[in-house]
Order: sequence, then C-alpha cells, then structure tokens
Amino acid sequence: MQRKWKVVALLAAALSLVSAYAGAEEDFVGWLLNFQRQKNVKPVSDKQYQDECGECHFAYQPGLLPAKSWEALLNADALRKHFGVDAELDNDTLKVIHDYAVDNAADKSWHKRSRKIAVATEEGPAPLRITELRYISRKHHDIPEKMIKGNKGVKSLSFCDKCHTQAADGVYDMDTVAIPNYPGWDD
Amino acid sequence: MKCRFKFRNIAASICLMTLSGMVYADDAAANLALPTAASFYSRNFQTFKSRSFNPPAFNSTTYLLAANESEIVEGPVGATSANIETVTPAAQFKPPLLSGRKIHQYLGLGTVMLAGLTVLAAPEEACEQNCPPPSQQPPRQTSGTTHTRLARATAVMAVATVMTGLVFHWNDIHWEDPFTDPDKLHARLATTGALLMLYAVNKSAHSTEPTSHAGIAELGAVTMVVAIKLTW
Repeated sequence: MQRKWKVVALLAAALSLVSAYAGAEEDFVGWLLNFQRQKNVKPVSDKQYQDECGECHFAYQPGLLPAKSWEALLNADALRKHFGVDAELDNDTLKVIHDYAVDNAADKSWHKRSRKIAVATEEGPAPLRITELRYISRKHHDIPEKMIKGNKGVKSLSFCDKCHTQAADGVYDMDTVAIPNYPGWDD
Repeated sequence: MKCRFKFRNIAASICLMTLSGMVYADDAAANLALPTAASFYSRNFQTFKSRSFNPPAFNSTTYLLAANESEIVEGPVGATSANIETVTPAAQFKPPLLSGRKIHQYLGLGTVMLAGLTVLAAPEEACEQNCPPPSQQPPRQTSGTTHTRLARATAVMAVATVMTGLVFHWNDIHWEDPFTDPDKLHARLATTGALLMLYAVNKSAHSTEPTSHAGIAELGAVTMVVAIKLTW
C-alpha cells in the first residue's frame, strides 16, 4: 500500500512541477517539465519580424535555420542582395530582426524539428536556404516535381504555407499537408 | 499453460503485424503513382553516396531544391521586394483525426499509461519478515490477476508502438544523421524500453517463485517516457 502512495505522490509532484514550468522560458528545465507539444518549430512571436519579413515572403520561423545562417543572412550587405532582391532595412529594424532570429535560431531552440536541423548543420558552412537543408530536402524528396514546380498553386518549395496548412503556427506535420490541386495526396 | 500463453502472445503479435501492414498497404495503394519505399532507399543511397552534407548547389533531379528554384525565388533581374509575388494563405484544411502517425502516438501514450496502472495494480508482498521457505508459501499467481493482465497488455502495446513507429516514421531515421538526432534517440530508447518491459513480463510469467522484475519493467517504462519526451 505504501508503494502505491509513493507512486501517487511522485505523480502529483511531477504534475505540480509541470504546471509551474508550463509557461517557462525555453530552457532545458522548461522543456523537460513542459507537457505542451514542442514537436515542430517555435512560431514567430515578434510582430516586427513577422511584418518586415512577411511583407515579401512567408515569415520563416527562426528555428528553421541555425544562428550562423541568420548571421550570414541578416546583415546590411547581405540584405542588399537578398536572393537577388534589395531588401535593405534601417539599422534599428535590422537589429531587432537580427537579434530575434539569432536568439530563436534552430541551435537555440528545444523544439524537435529545430533540434534536428541544428544537429544536422553543426558542421560545415552555414546553409543560406532552408530548402538546402538535408533534413528539409529529404522530407520533400518523394514529392513529384509536378506537384511543386509544375503546380500553379505551389510553384516552389520556398512557399511553405502553400501546402503546410499550419506553417504560420510552426506546425509542419505530415498530417497537416494539403497540396493545392492534389487533394487527398499522402506520402 | 505455458503453451497457451506463448500461443496467445504469438497470435497477438501476428494480429498486430497484420493490422500495421494493412494500414500501410492501404496508404500505399491509394498512391499508386508515387515512388515506393524501396525506390526511395535506392535513390537515396545513390544520391547520398556522392554527396557531402549541405553542399552549396544541388544538380540532382531527385531533389527539388534551391538550385532549380532560383528563377522562382530570386525573380527577374531588377526585381524589388514590392513586385515579388506575395504568398497567399493556405487553403482551409482539417487534419485527419486518425492517421498512422497518430495511431503510433496514441499507442505510445497508452503504453505509458498502462505501465503506470500496472505498477499501481502490483500485488502487495505477502510476507516481508519471518517468511516461511518458498516451498511453504502459496503458489505464485502468474496469470489471471489485474496486475498480470495489465502487464501483458502493456508489453503487447509497447511492441505495437515500436512496430507502428517503424512503419509510419521509417523515413525519419537515416544512417547519416548524427547520434544525437532526436528521432534516432527516440527510436533507440523506445525500442530499448519495449524490450525491457517484454523481458520483465517474460521473466515474471515463467517464474514459480517470487522474482525481481519490477525494477526492469519500471526502467523500461521510464525509458519509453524519455523517448516520447524527446519527440513530443
């Protein structure tokens, strides 16, 4: 009987700790004792980042690239030639966006997909395109080209939210994928 | 009795394997035009054999990557942020309530829950001090009690969890990924946890005398909890 009460007491203690850490910052203890799902990528929480990046393209979550990539992408020189486009920002805005991206980069996140990206990019040069990441390319490997490049509703892998219906929330689960013009498709 | 127990376990395993296979076959049959698992592996192997990690440019047609997207992403020469096509929100879509991946998830959570119930249903030790020799103690119950039923159900569910994980998440685990890859750790720990629970159930079920098995089973359950947490 004593053993049962010990188990119940342990469970109660664990639950109270979890609830205490439910809203904690993203650190190891916070992650460990947080039962909320952290399987995907941390959604964008900075309005300025969302507005500035989202003005031209999908505001990719910082957790999709390691910090070294954001360092290489978000500086004044790089933004003048941002994938062939002049995306220059004033210094104050750039600093906010740069700091937000670096602080929430894949290698600083406890979310699962970010951790996968982080461990796969620890070595080697900083990847500059999310679509170049081995993890991302492998995930899309089996999708026929006609469904992406040849699909007027998608056009490119860069447009995450065309198929990932909950991409804005950082959710990239297979179960949330709906490829335009190919209803019912499943990998 | 032993034969019946073995037969029941084997039958349950075969049923689970058949169920997993049917679910997978159903998924595959609905997408006849898509590559099979075998083609994925062969192409993957050929591709990765000659490929370094994250190379600057890809030229393989098996990848839909930045190299063949540049004209779309970069836009025409002289383009500015203002005239690049704006991405429109995704269409309304409701994720399915049940899918292979979700079945795996529910089975995993169910295993942990059953393991907890099994611990709670463990019989009290009949004798702690001044015990008579084992030969004079009442025969040990290895079946028919709530504890033994829950333990067997936990073991079967653990095996089913591992099997559905292998079927539905086979493309999340790759040799070339580092040791610390969350999915790799998850698979290793969950399999270890399931094996430990199986071992504990098997050890206890075949012993006529009190045998120490709780520690192993609990370690298996904890290992499984850690595995789930890593990819939760």
